Amino acid sequence: MQTLNYRFPATQAATHAVHIGVVASGDLEILLEPTAGETLEADVRVRTSVDGFDTVWLEVLTRFFTHTPVAGRWELNDSGATPGVVTLRMRQAAEAVSGHPA
Amino acid sequence: MTGTDRDPLTGLSWQQMLHRHSFIELDALGRAEALLDRGSMRVLADPFARLESPWLTPQGVTPQADDGTIIAQGTLAGHAAVVCAIEQGFQGGGTGEVSGAKISQALTLAAADSRAGTPTAAVILFETGGVRLQEANLGLNAVAEICSALLDLRPLAPVIGVVAGTVGSFGGMSIAAGLCTRLIVTPQARIGLNGPAVIEQEVGVEEFDSSDHALIWAVDGGEQRRETGLADILVADDADQIRTAAVDAVAAGVSEPGRHRSERLDVLAARLAELDPSDPPAPQELRALWGDTFTPPPGAAPPNTREALTPNSGRGWTWLRALTGVADPEPVIPSVLRVVTGTAVYLAVVPDADNPFYRARNGEVGLTESLALTQAVTEVVAADRQSDVKRPIVAVVDLPSQAYGRIEEMAGLHQAMASAVDAYHGARTAGHPIVAIVVGTALSGGFLTHGLQANQILALDDPGVEIHAMHRSAAARITLRTVEQLDELAKTILPLSYDVRDWAKLGLCDDLLHVENADTPTDADVAAVNDAIASAVNRARSGPRDLSNRLDSDDAVQTRHASRKVRELLGSQWHSTQP
Repeated sequence: MQTLNYRFPATQAATHAVHIGVVASGDLEILLEPTAGETLEADVRVRTSVDGFDTVWLEVLTRFFTHTPVAGRWELNDSGATPGVVTLRMRQAAEAVSGHPA
Repeated sequence: MTGTDRDPLTGLSWQQMLHRHSFIELDALGRAEALLDRGSMRVLADPFARLESPWLTPQGVTPQADDGTIIAQGTLAGHAAVVCAIEQGFQGGGTGEVSGAKISQALTLAAADSRAGTPTAAVILFETGGVRLQEANLGLNAVAEICSALLDLRPLAPVIGVVAGTVGSFGGMSIAAGLCTRLIVTPQARIGLNGPAVIEQEVGVEEFDSSDHALIWAVDGGEQRRETGLADILVADDADQIRTAAVDAVAAGVSEPGRHRSERLDVLAARLAELDPSDPPAPQELRALWGDTFTPPPGAAPPNTREALTPNSGRGWTWLRALTGVADPEPVIPSVLRVVTGTAVYLAVVPDADNPFYRARNGEVGLTESLALTQAVTEVVAADRQSDVKRPIVAVVDLPSQAYGRIEEMAGLHQAMASAVDAYHGARTAGHPIVAIVVGTALSGGFLTHGLQANQILALDDPGVEIHAMHRSAAARITLRTVEQLDELAKTILPLSYDVRDWAKLGLCDDLLHVENADTPTDADVAAVNDAIASAVNRARSGPRDLSNRLDSDDAVQTRHASRKVRELLGSQWHSTQP
């Protein structure tokens, strides 16, 4: 297991906490919560069962937050989800806190 | 529907089948929501409480924020209820310290509310491969605590089990399924003690071919379990049907004492008497032989009795004789020995080289061993019913495991074990001090059946004493590790360790006893262990009759902080109006 931390600039604050997904094989769970403080940013912690994909995570997350700059504390507990599944789950979380399609 | 006339739609028209809302496709939260009255659900200890397993990250396994178990309060057609839903996607639904504690504490809180005048039913959604082997001994104990809490609640409010699939219910949690007031299954469900892959791994493909899906469902399948009376209600994989079945089962209320499947010793005995392990019926034939109601089959043969042909051996036998001073213990059956002294009743499961159930020849707990233990324990309880002081029952434990076999699974080993668990629990709550003394190996389902329902657990401090959820090589295979990796991890991860001194630090051990010779005990060894048993009996008499001492012991305060946190948080959220 590897723990990765990232920060991304963001513009939309998450309004409430939301939980999406399951730590099942090929899937992940996301806990997204609003954070206190002045600066809006996405504070991301990834715990993944598959080591050595730091670059892929950075690419996937950078791309996501460029399109969907939702600020808050993002915790991703991953059990080997593919980039497509990761993005899908993150969109679900973003939709759930913003009330419109991400 | 008859046994030969299979109905793949389970009573639905094909139109209904196409338009149904699949229950199986829902995750655990979705299942809880589908069962409870709309708008009534309140999830306790939710993911944001972050009660994750403390044991997984050090092993490089990603944890889940709610440890894969949903506890949801709500109502079922207006009746107060709590749903305990196991998420099959996370670690195959395996029972860990936290997920197990969530279920046992929810059942305990439901029992407290029921006693206080609000009968609160429980619905347990079993989708589990059994004990989570990464948390081995704490998972095993969690199953024992769930069984105990379930039995505490069952006389007060119905406990409904649902096995929908696709994982099904396997391992020790199937014992809990066997204790439920009512059990609801779908044709996709499976219920068994040992899963097909584990049997194949342990015994070989000729015992159970785990690639043969038709065989698996013929033995373990929901329809087969219903048709042999080991489940009560068979419904299609449809959320509305399953909810209706659960609502009806809750509305039917508690069963009368003595009527639960796990209390029907007469049925278990009659059924086993009809089963010839040298010429076992096919699963389909078992339906006709046993029938679909859990009642004694018509014209049941008297139970087989036979003399042991081969002399006994092993530590269980040695210690049973040494502790009691009785050279020739009485066989309940040749593989279950009993000694009744002036002060206590001693029971041991021992090897029986001629056991007709050939998977239980090395001291494993199988079908007939479970029955014999149940009979012996219930006899003590019945005999002492009028006495103020109940005799102690001492379980002398040296058993390699439960019996891994196809006949055992077909006959429902989980249900036979549930009877023994029910009997030990019943004896404990009736006031009999139950003391387990582990003198050799105490593995897995065998220990759940004979030992883990005790008020007090003692163990010899000896390298030959090994307490675990599964033996080394099997645990290594299942967790995809080498035995060396497993041993290395066990050095730092307490519940994984095979060393009895580490086990003793988990908070479940009431005394670890030094002896000179565990194989051939000296007089001093015997005297010391007898003294320890006498002290344990005294502690049991003055202590709680539930298993709460395993959470309150000094070692538990150190080691089981996650379980204690679960108890604290669920306790505070249970009655609060804010989630």
